[in-house]
Order: sequence, then C-alpha cells, then structure tokens
Amino acid sequence: MDASTPARVEVEGLSKVFRGPKHKQIKAVDDVSFTAHAGEIFGLLGANGAGKTTTLRVLSTMLSPTAGDARLCGFSVVRRPEEVRRRIGFLSTATSLYGRLTAREMVIYFGRLHGMAPAALEARRQELFELFGMQSFADVRCDKLSTGMKQKVSIVRSVLHDPEVMIFDEPTAGLDVLTSRTIVAFVQDCRARGKCVIFSTHIMDEVDQLCDRVGVIHAGRLLACEPLDALRARAPSRRVGDAFVALVESAGVQP
Amino acid sequence: MSAVGTVFRKELLDVLRDRRTLLFMLVIPTLSIPLMMWLTADLVTSFMEKMARKQVDVLVLNAEAAPDLVEELRQRSNPMGLALQLSRLLESRGLTEKDLSLVKGEDPRAFERLLTARGIDRDELMGEVRGLMGAQEFEPNVASLIGSAFPPNFRVVTELDKDLGDPRDPAQREAVLLQAVRTDRLGAAVLLPADARERLARGDTAELQVFYLDSSDRSTLAFKGLEGIFRSMGKRITAERLAERQLPPGLASPLKLKPTRLPGPGLLIKIMGQLLPYMILIFAFLGALYPAIDLGAGEKERGTLETLLVAPVSRLSLVLGKFLVVLLAALVSAVLATVSLGLSLQIGFLAELSLLSGGTFSFSFLEGAMALAMILPVSCIFSALLLALSIFAKSFKEGQSYAGPLQLVVIMPAFVSFLPGVELDWFMASMPVVNVSLALKEIFTGNLDQHWGHMGLIFLSTSVCAGLLLWAAAWWFRREQVLFRS
Repeated sequence: MDASTPARVEVEGLSKVFRGPKHKQIKAVDDVSFTAHAGEIFGLLGANGAGKTTTLRVLSTMLSPTAGDARLCGFSVVRRPEEVRRRIGFLSTATSLYGRLTAREMVIYFGRLHGMAPAALEARRQELFELFGMQSFADVRCDKLSTGMKQKVSIVRSVLHDPEVMIFDEPTAGLDVLTSRTIVAFVQDCRARGKCVIFSTHIMDEVDQLCDRVGVIHAGRLLACEPLDALRARAPSRRVGDAFVALVESAGVQP
Repeated sequence: MSAVGTVFRKELLDVLRDRRTLLFMLVIPTLSIPLMMWLTADLVTSFMEKMARKQVDVLVLNAEAAPDLVEELRQRSNPMGLALQLSRLLESRGLTEKDLSLVKGEDPRAFERLLTARGIDRDELMGEVRGLMGAQEFEPNVASLIGSAFPPNFRVVTELDKDLGDPRDPAQREAVLLQAVRTDRLGAAVLLPADARERLARGDTAELQVFYLDSSDRSTLAFKGLEGIFRSMGKRITAERLAERQLPPGLASPLKLKPTRLPGPGLLIKIMGQLLPYMILIFAFLGALYPAIDLGAGEKERGTLETLLVAPVSRLSLVLGKFLVVLLAALVSAVLATVSLGLSLQIGFLAELSLLSGGTFSFSFLEGAMALAMILPVSCIFSALLLALSIFAKSFKEGQSYAGPLQLVVIMPAFVSFLPGVELDWFMASMPVVNVSLALKEIFTGNLDQHWGHMGLIFLSTSVCAGLLLWAAAWWFRREQVLFRS
C-alpha cells in the first residue's frame, strides 16, 4: 500500500503466552508484527491452531498481550482498550446472538452499549435493516431465525457504530455457500467504503478472492507478510495454497 | 454508569423470557409453600386419623387376676356405647376429632375461641354433654372431652396365635410379643400382676406392665391410648376410695396445675419465626440460582460472551448490570415466598391454627424494614457467589453442578432458625448467613427491641461481606483464564 492511505492497525512484536497444564507455557502468538491500512483487506492465513484467533482476540482487546502492543486508530490495546473497542467491528462465528432477543432488540442493545443516541441509533438501524432486507424478521426472536438471517443480524451488529476497522475471524466457517457469499460481499463493501479490514481464514479461495495483502501465520509466528501477488509468486503454480504449503515447510516449525 | 442500566435492562428482559428462570423465580416460591403446608398439615393428620381409627389388638396377660379391670378396659377402648354417642354429638355440632386435637394442649380459651368460630353456644353444648354423661366425673374442658369422645379403638384379647409361642412364659415373653407387634398382629400388651385384685381391694397400687415397640407408630399410639385409659380408671378408683372413706375429693390431688398462657406471641408466631427465615433464605438462593447461571455460564455456552466483550463497556459495568438482575430475582423470589406464606395463613389448616392460638401474624413497618435490611445484603452474598461460580463455569450444566454443593452451604445455616435453644448472641451474630437466619427469627417473633446491637453488627458485617464478594466477582470477570477457559 502506498503511504497516502493511513495505517489503521499497527501490530508490533505481539506475543501471547498461555499457561497450559503442568505449568507448561504455550506460545500462541510469537513476536508478530504487521500493519494494515484504510481501504485494504489484510488476510491472516493459517491452519487451525496457528494463532489467528488469539491474534484477533488481542486486537479486539478480549485478551491482553503478554508482550508487545498493537495500536488501532492510534489507540493502544493495552492502555486504551475501550477506545479501541469503540472503533472496531468484530465478527466471527463465535460471536453469537442472544436467542431470546429479537433482531431489533439485539441491534438496539449493542447500539446503546456503544453509547449511540436513541434517535441516531434508530435511524441507523432502519438504514441497515433496509439495506440488508431485514424488515420482515425485525421482530422475530434470534433463536427462530435461519442461519443466513442470523448472519445478517450479526453483520448489522458489527457495523452499527460505523467502525474504522473491521475484524473478521473466520466469518464463513460452517456456513453454506449462499450465506458465505453475503459475508464475502460485505467484506468487499467494507473495503470500498475505505475501512481497514483484517480477515482471518484457512480457506485459500477466500484469500485469492478478497485479500490485498496476506500475513501467513504458523505456530504463532508470522512467516510472511506481503502483497497477494508476492505470495503467489512463491509457488511455481502461482496458487496461494501451494505457496502456503511451501512457506510452512521451509519454515520447518512443528505446530 | 448508564452502561450498567443498559446491561441491567437487557439482562432482565432476557431472563424474563426464560421459562426456567420464571419457574424458579415466580412459580416455585409462590406455590411450594401452600403445597407444602397442605401436604404436611392435611395429609399427615388424615393419615394419623386413619391410623387412630383402625382397630388394634391389645393383649392382656393374666386377665383372670382382675376380670372387672379388663372389662372396664374393654368398654373404655371401644368406640361404642357412651363414647360413640359423645362423638356423634360433637360431630353433629361440627366438631371433628381434628378440631379437638388442635386445641388439645391449649388453654380453655382456645377451646372457647373454637366454639365461637363455629358459632356454637358453649353452655348449650356443655348441657347436652352433661346430660349424656350423667354428670359423673366429667369436667367440661377440652382434655376430658377429647379423652372421652373419640377413644382409641382397641380389641382386647387374652390369647395370641399359638404359632407365635407362649407369651405367658417369662423366658420367651418379650420375643413373642416383639414378633406379634412386628407382624401387626398386636399393638401392645398389658401384664396384670397376679395379685391385682387383692392389691386394689386393700387400697394399694397395682403395677401394670405395658409392652410396646418404640419404632412402630401403631404400637406407640396403642401405648398412649392405654396410658390415657388407665389414667382415667385410676382417677375413678381414687374417687371411689375417697368417697368410701368419706374423705374430701381433693385429698389425693393436693396440687393441681392450671396453665395460663400470657397474651403474648403465641404458637403461630413461634412457627412463623422458625419457618420464615428458612424460607426466605432458601428462596432468595433459589431465585438467584437460574438467572446467575444463565447470565454467566449461559452466555459462554451460547457463544454470546465474545459478542458482549467487544462492546465498548467496562467489564465492571457488565458485572454490575448482571449482578443487579440476579439480586432482583433473589429478592422477588424471597418476597413472593413471604407473601405466599402470609396468604396461606388465611386459608385452611393454618387459618384454624392462627385463630386458635389467638394471635395473628403481622409485623410493623419498622420490623419489615429491618427484615429487608437483613435480606438485602445476604441476597447480595448469594448473587455475587453464584455469579462468580457461573462466570467460571463453561456451560450451564457445569454451573449447576457447582451450585449444588453451595446449596448445602446455604441450607444448613438457614436451618438454624429451627433449632431450639440457639439464640442470637454476639458469637452467633458473627457467623455469616447463620446470623441473618437468627436475626430474622428474632424480628418475626417480636424481639427486635432486644437485639439492636446484634442487628447493627449483622447488617454491617453482611454488607461488608457482600461488597467483598461483589468486588471479587468483578475481578474474576476481568481474568482471561476465567473467561476463556479451555
């Protein structure tokens, strides 16, 4: 990315160590650094258990780093976690909905938690419900919604406060093709509106389709961080999957 | 702090839409008390009644030593003849055996109140009773009415089945009788001394040995019946001996006790003093249980915790909002239980009891406020504890399994209000939960003015304890190891 687009996410020497059974230390994230800018999709590519989710949980301030820091929109996740949370939208298959609330109540609740004024919140809700065609099930309880409907409610929940940074943690895991498409289209739309998007996945197709730059993470370490074309160039076949396997094998680290 | 309000409103709505919570918070506290009362009071008394009416065999050994004594026993223990007529008379006036047993140990005023409540004219009834009994050896009071009407139903026998063995043989007597009682062929046995007639004739005492089995309800009941019958017979013999010698009738009973209850808190107040603290503590805990598990472990199980954690509110606001909902549920449940108990007193068995004991259960504004001042901090303790456990648990099920043992920790101290002789002193006032149970007991039995110092200490110590636990729960909720256990 050129220097004209501002950096939104700056990760510096980020590490996260968990205490495992028998006081064994597990390095889930090991000295990871990268930068992501407004108007780009930064893909975090890695196998299951590579450290993608932990990295994104630290970025969204759910976990605090053992070492290093990350700044989102200039705010440190260590020192100003609430300011960071105000400016991010977080979406993953783990972020479920409250089944006993209706779609409308769910969205209003999170708008209030973001401190939005009632009138502005209602206007924003209407705009988004119309955009995603959700008026028909606005007053249906979330546990009665189909997977696709639920995903739409989750999307609205995550962009309600118009965040500068969107973080997606394997947002399509376990979803069917049609629902996945909604998500993919939404991610592209975020980029078009100048958001900085961090997108983790283990699906090579999605990387191909979406990402501007890719960080390959394996056993907690960032093996490469480069534009998509540069990553492709690592494999004779110029396919992302092959490039990924080549990278992991040459690194020689066991997960 | 508006975030706390937002979280509180949402969690309350969420919890109120959960059937399980509603069941534990609203339905169970409201229904369980009347149900329990109905079961214990009505069912148990009706079983007792059935048992009392059933005929039981009583064996008399050495009957030939005093045939007239045995004949009198036979008459007095048979619901035929005079006793039957008396029972019918009372029943025709609307007085059942159960009514009379209610006022049995009470002073005559309770009996008078029973008659007033039933609209029965006392003098008229007594006139009829006296007419029936022939004015002999009858004092118009409750004890003698109960003793004479509704007598135990015995069949007096002098022989046992041969296959059981011979009860006349002192060597095998106890074994034979035990076998007979255990196989329900016998309620109890009476052994007359061989010289019974001579002893009575010369003004001496005849010792009657009664065999019964402690562990059998039927046998104990038979023993009590025999005790009553022989006491009346003894009185009759005493009266005859005195009359024969032309001595004043009071000679053999120089001192007579006349229990007179002071017009203070009666039996009902005592029962309430024992029952209410227990109920309140149990229902405060049960009311908090499901919302607490739902708002902590439930959030993890359904995967909404992460959604919530990325919202820009402090963890403290989240904990406080959730805590307030749990606390509200605990209080609603405890208050509903109290109200339901109050209403149960207006109907059925307990209404009768409260009428007869002459006191109604009520408390002043000050007592109500003090009770609330005790209930509030202890409910905070339950809510904070349960919420902390629930946040630690990974699933609803795990949360429930942690709450199980905790339930015992609450029930045991709450039970202290039932223990006789445990009084609120400085030592007891320093025991958490136990002190609240005892404080509530003192408040509800009208002894608040004796315990201001203790109450102050209990309120302060319970509040401090609740504050610490809430602080611990908030700290707990900030720990990654707790939130993201795997």
